[in-house]
Amino acid sequence: MWKSIIYKEWLKIRWFAIIYAALGILVVGNIFLKVQHDFEFSQEAYYWYSILFNQYRFYEYSLFKFVPLIGALAIALAQYFPETVNKRIKLTFHLPINENKALMVMMLFGAFCLFAIAAVQLLLFTGLSLVYFPAEIVQSALISIAPWFLCGFVVYFLTALIVLEPVWKYRFLYLLVTATFVPLYLQTAAARAYSPALPLLSVFTVLLSVALWFSGYRFRKGEM
Amino acid sequence: MNAIECKNLTHYYGKKLVFENLSFNVKEGSILGLLGKNGTGKTTTINILNGFLQPQSGECLIYGENSQNLSPQNKARIGFLIEGHIQYTFMNIHQIEKFYSKFYPKWDNEPYWHLMSKLQVSPKQKISNMSCGQRSQVALGLILAQDPDLLILDDFSMGLDPGYRRLFIDYLREYAKEKKKTIFTTSHIIQDMERLIDDLLIMDFNRVLAQRSVKSFMQEFKQFHLELENPDIDISNEEFVVNSEKVNNKLELYTYESEEKVLNFLKNNGVVHKNFRQVEMGLEDAFIGLTGKY
Repeated sequence: MWKSIIYKEWLKIRWFAIIYAALGILVVGNIFLKVQHDFEFSQEAYYWYSILFNQYRFYEYSLFKFVPLIGALAIALAQYFPETVNKRIKLTFHLPINENKALMVMMLFGAFCLFAIAAVQLLLFTGLSLVYFPAEIVQSALISIAPWFLCGFVVYFLTALIVLEPVWKYRFLYLLVTATFVPLYLQTAAARAYSPALPLLSVFTVLLSVALWFSGYRFRKGEM
Repeated sequence: MNAIECKNLTHYYGKKLVFENLSFNVKEGSILGLLGKNGTGKTTTINILNGFLQPQSGECLIYGENSQNLSPQNKARIGFLIEGHIQYTFMNIHQIEKFYSKFYPKWDNEPYWHLMSKLQVSPKQKISNMSCGQRSQVALGLILAQDPDLLILDDFSMGLDPGYRRLFIDYLREYAKEKKKTIFTTSHIIQDMERLIDDLLIMDFNRVLAQRSVKSFMQEFKQFHLELENPDIDISNEEFVVNSEKVNNKLELYTYESEEKVLNFLKNNGVVHKNFRQVEMGLEDAFIGLTGKY
């Protein structure tokens, strides 16, 4: 039964997931094209300059900044919007399974897809980075881009909450909450700038994962 | 044994009362039609039955379980058709059959594919590209394949042309009677109901107007036509008059009383009239007679 839910979710998001994965790979490719270019023409002086004067941004990993956000938004909309057209979520709630578990499996699958795509992008990014830079610099870059990938999950969870919410007034309220919290993850591209805040942001991201239960509950109680 | 028992349902939307202390039962193996004008609470009742709306007070039991907290085992016994034959339109007819088949232990795809074979569509055709009539057959086929004990159908006529409506009703009635299924249904096309249902529940704003078998309702509810000599006479408030429509001196009178009693009343009260006759009615005529044209 749970495999069937995953099958349904995959049918909805597959093209968006593939495009997002491809976009991420293109971005990684683009970053390292630039790195290769700098190595060829600017040599090591450019990187020393970056370390000393350019907010420790060793190379242009900031190209990643909005990629997880855009990918997560696309996947969340592809996954949850079709459920709200003609209140089709009723079909899911009528299946002979627990309604909260059904929502949880939908959310876990979407989050897993985001995680898998992020893992591919990060592995590629890390592998290529290690070809050019020492581990310390790569580690700093990974810590710097971590909040952007966390931001992807936040956007995914909050989009699910907003899209499944049956009342427009509440949707608007959640949108304001989203507009307040999402920028927290995108403040700066400076190396290791988010180091102290990462644990808290991670906890917050995990807590948001169950937000869609609230919209699901309100729908089942007949809020309109 | 009742498949559905609703007790003292009361519901408001804001301050607007939809119904108060509505109670009804649906016997196992029967087909009950919920009839009413727009806005009288048909879809509200269906939503309460399916657990998508919590009534202000009262409860509905389906096979003994509160409809707000149905167990997965009980949900597997209920086939649900959403108004407009809503389904997952991003799937094709193969994918949707594959999807649902894993949820229901009694799944039998034969009736589904039998209906699909009549549609002249390719197996890869997406449901979003089908006509409303074709989608209705997909929705019906899925419910039949589920082999539920209880079917809850919300306005199954919506968007269907006469051919598909007839196909839907004939297929459904034969299936229900052969397999002793229970059906609770609404439709805004009363003629469709006449071919399908055994019992009816007619709702008006805030109240139930009739709750009985179609057969007894059609036998007992009558329409009389007469022409009054004095068109100013008004008998619409008499106790035996359920409803009346008057155009000039022509009066349509709806009542559960016999012709003899109506004639006696007219005679005893000096209501001079001519051309008195009983008018044969179909279910739609009776429905309009009971609920009024407005």
